[in-house]
Amino acid sequence: MTPSSVEELSDVVASCNRSGERIAIEGGNTLAGMGVPVRAPYAHLRTASLTAVVEDAPTDLVVAAQGGITLRNLATQLAAHGTHIPFDAPLAHQATLGGTLAAGWLGPRRHLYGRPRDYVIGSVAVLADGTIARAGGMVVKNVSGYDMSRLYVGAFGTLGIIAQANMKTTALPPHARIFIAPLPEGTRRRALASVVSLRIAPAAAFWVEGFHQSIDGEDGHEGRLIVLLEGSAALLERSTRDLRSALGRAGVPETQILDTGAREAFGRIVDAYVSCLGERSVTYRISAHGQSLVDRVLAARLLADRFELRADTLADAMNDDIILRVSDLDSHALGAKIAMFDDAFHDDEPGATVVAGAHPQRASLNVWGELPDAFDRMRALKARFDPNGTLNPGRFIGGI
Amino acid sequence: MLVSRLLDAVGADAVKFAPEDLSVYAFDGYTQGRAPSAVVLPRSAADVSAVVKIAREFGEPIVPRGAGTGLCGGAVPIEGGIVISFARMNRILELDVRGRRARVQPGLVNLDLSTRVAAHDLFFAPDPSSQKVSTIGGNIGTNAGGPHCLQYGTTVNHVLGLEIVDSFGEVFTTTLDGAGYDLTAALVGSEGTLGIVTSAWVRLQRLPESVRVWVAAFPSIDAASEAVSAIVAAGIIPTALEMMDRVIAQAVEAAFHAGYPTDAGAILLIENAGFEDDMRACEEGLYRIVHANGALSWHTARSQSERDALWAGRKGAAGAVGRLAQNYYLQDVCVPRSKLPQALRAVEAAAREHRLIVGNVFHAGDGNLHPMILYDKRDPLQVAGVIETGNAILSSAVALGGTVSGEHGIGYEKREAMTQIYSTGDLATMARVRDVFDPTLMFNPEKIFPSGARCPEVRA
Repeated sequence: MTPSSVEELSDVVASCNRSGERIAIEGGNTLAGMGVPVRAPYAHLRTASLTAVVEDAPTDLVVAAQGGITLRNLATQLAAHGTHIPFDAPLAHQATLGGTLAAGWLGPRRHLYGRPRDYVIGSVAVLADGTIARAGGMVVKNVSGYDMSRLYVGAFGTLGIIAQANMKTTALPPHARIFIAPLPEGTRRRALASVVSLRIAPAAAFWVEGFHQSIDGEDGHEGRLIVLLEGSAALLERSTRDLRSALGRAGVPETQILDTGAREAFGRIVDAYVSCLGERSVTYRISAHGQSLVDRVLAARLLADRFELRADTLADAMNDDIILRVSDLDSHALGAKIAMFDDAFHDDEPGATVVAGAHPQRASLNVWGELPDAFDRMRALKARFDPNGTLNPGRFIGGI
Repeated sequence: MLVSRLLDAVGADAVKFAPEDLSVYAFDGYTQGRAPSAVVLPRSAADVSAVVKIAREFGEPIVPRGAGTGLCGGAVPIEGGIVISFARMNRILELDVRGRRARVQPGLVNLDLSTRVAAHDLFFAPDPSSQKVSTIGGNIGTNAGGPHCLQYGTTVNHVLGLEIVDSFGEVFTTTLDGAGYDLTAALVGSEGTLGIVTSAWVRLQRLPESVRVWVAAFPSIDAASEAVSAIVAAGIIPTALEMMDRVIAQAVEAAFHAGYPTDAGAILLIENAGFEDDMRACEEGLYRIVHANGALSWHTARSQSERDALWAGRKGAAGAVGRLAQNYYLQDVCVPRSKLPQALRAVEAAAREHRLIVGNVFHAGDGNLHPMILYDKRDPLQVAGVIETGNAILSSAVALGGTVSGEHGIGYEKREAMTQIYSTGDLATMARVRDVFDPTLMFNPEKIFPSGARCPEVRA
């Protein structure tokens, strides 16, 4: 089913809901590795034909587009006006607006530009019973009842399908520059601490170990630091000086600077968040808030080592996020260890979620981590919005 | 009986029930409701939980209240019941300087938070004009804005998690960390109808390195609003972009000597905060645009005290208007920013039709209008004119693609206007959320939803 209008989407959903048929909602399939597959049997519903830009108002710095538009197409249209929305979602040529929002994607520049949810100003959602529900509007401030639009963000389509999202936009930073530096063990803590406390906050800063096929730079066994600076030419000049001297003080050797292709290099880092090695890998995401980022990365790597799994790690220093990809030589070798590793890892990191992995055992892992405190209310909300369990049943936390 | 049960639960000093103590709780900044049966001043989530359980037993509604500075009746009891005032829950519970976040109690005054974290080079971005008295809990209830949310976003962008007492007295928490529905977003702006906030994790910002404030004078509101649209269209988002017309500028000058030109048709108060390196480019861009739109003058504030005076005038504008008229009615609508000139013309036309004077002081960069209609409430003709003018402004904003409340909320005053922007189905969708959190409509009844909106066909 690939409806080409919101009305058609509503008809399709309502009819499935009446007949007891379950629906698996599919956008660009880029974040399909998050959560659990929908409980079979189900009908596939693709948003691929809902790709219109409904209202482009560059002078108001807002845009409304249908859920199936790809992030790249939306970005291209916005870039023509010198604006953007910092989604920082992987595989932007394939990822959709609705899917990225529904998956609650959080990217590495959010500490500076805010979360995708902070850009949502309105929505059209199709609920399980076919209701076409509008919320918010095209204005940047709006306190008129409950903020339904944000409620659909991160709900994985289980409350309603995001048929249209109205978004704020913001001016594209005029310049971008990437720093890549090897990060010898003795420099790590000081270097990361000084990058995080720079007066002009970098747009992103990572400590990467591995991911060699996908992310620039060489690190041997010690890892590398990758920092993205964005802003005006004047600001970049100063932040480059500040960053250089901070890294120098931390003992970081020679740095490599990338101006041309900086955005593409950043895009490759974001893609790596969900990169899979076929059925040979599983990728976790943990938030290290309030704890030492370095200690938690090292603990995760040590644990992988204990299970004789290869670990690639990507630590986002600005947001205290860690991406851990564990892999083995083949799918069988991974399958023999992954369940035990998953248990042991969650003992250390109860909040760890799985974000990618094509291994058949992925669905039996603890992909969502521990349930949130308000889970009972979330289940009640699902029951009130979708009592028949029509939309993406089983896909979300706790079997929602 | 109710009062004795409350006294047993939270102590004698935490309950008010004498009629003379209760009558003030029938009001907010504008609206009059009914005096409650009792006012409770809890000290903890446990106190709130106990009160909610007692209220449920007695079938009494509960109305949470911060400082009562709202203008739409959100904190006013319509059906009586128990008011929970957070005046005593005003502490910062935790401060995480490195993580730039704080856990605060709902009764903490907005400005007190910023003042108390300033030593750590931090501040709380939402800054409604009422910030000297209004509370974080109230700000959360209405998803409050303020001049600086042009760049920083409204309160919802600054709340990271909540501790909530539900309508059965159970305590739960919400967080933005980890998977699950974004209940924080649903609760912020729900005006106390879904749950009662007993503490909140809020995001703090680093104090800017450099701040500039400029004042541009224009011959007319029209010219100033064209300039605002052009600034936004150029992709320049300063930290704040506020407009004042002559009526307001003169009143403010008379009251505060803030330093505003009083002979202009309208003035823009513009602030940019950030890095010194970007200031010149920003100023040049602004300067070029305001002059292309007919600015009469351009002034850069030279010192911190001059900047403070200009802001004090802006934030005190509502008070200063008291010099001009016995009463004023403050409307709050928001329109797409390119529609500002038309929206302001509509405001002017509506007021002229009823021979009323309007003062405009508002968050121009957000398209968030705050026309203040001056009147004398002893004159019934004027009162009728004010109501009609207010409604006309509301309708014209909606016709321009805008909304019925930018930042003050719906409360009791504007609930019927919800049908101007939402269909029955849209409202029923919101009501589903209410059903989950407060199925018996015990929390802040008669707010947000239009009267009669709870009839069965609307509940879908």
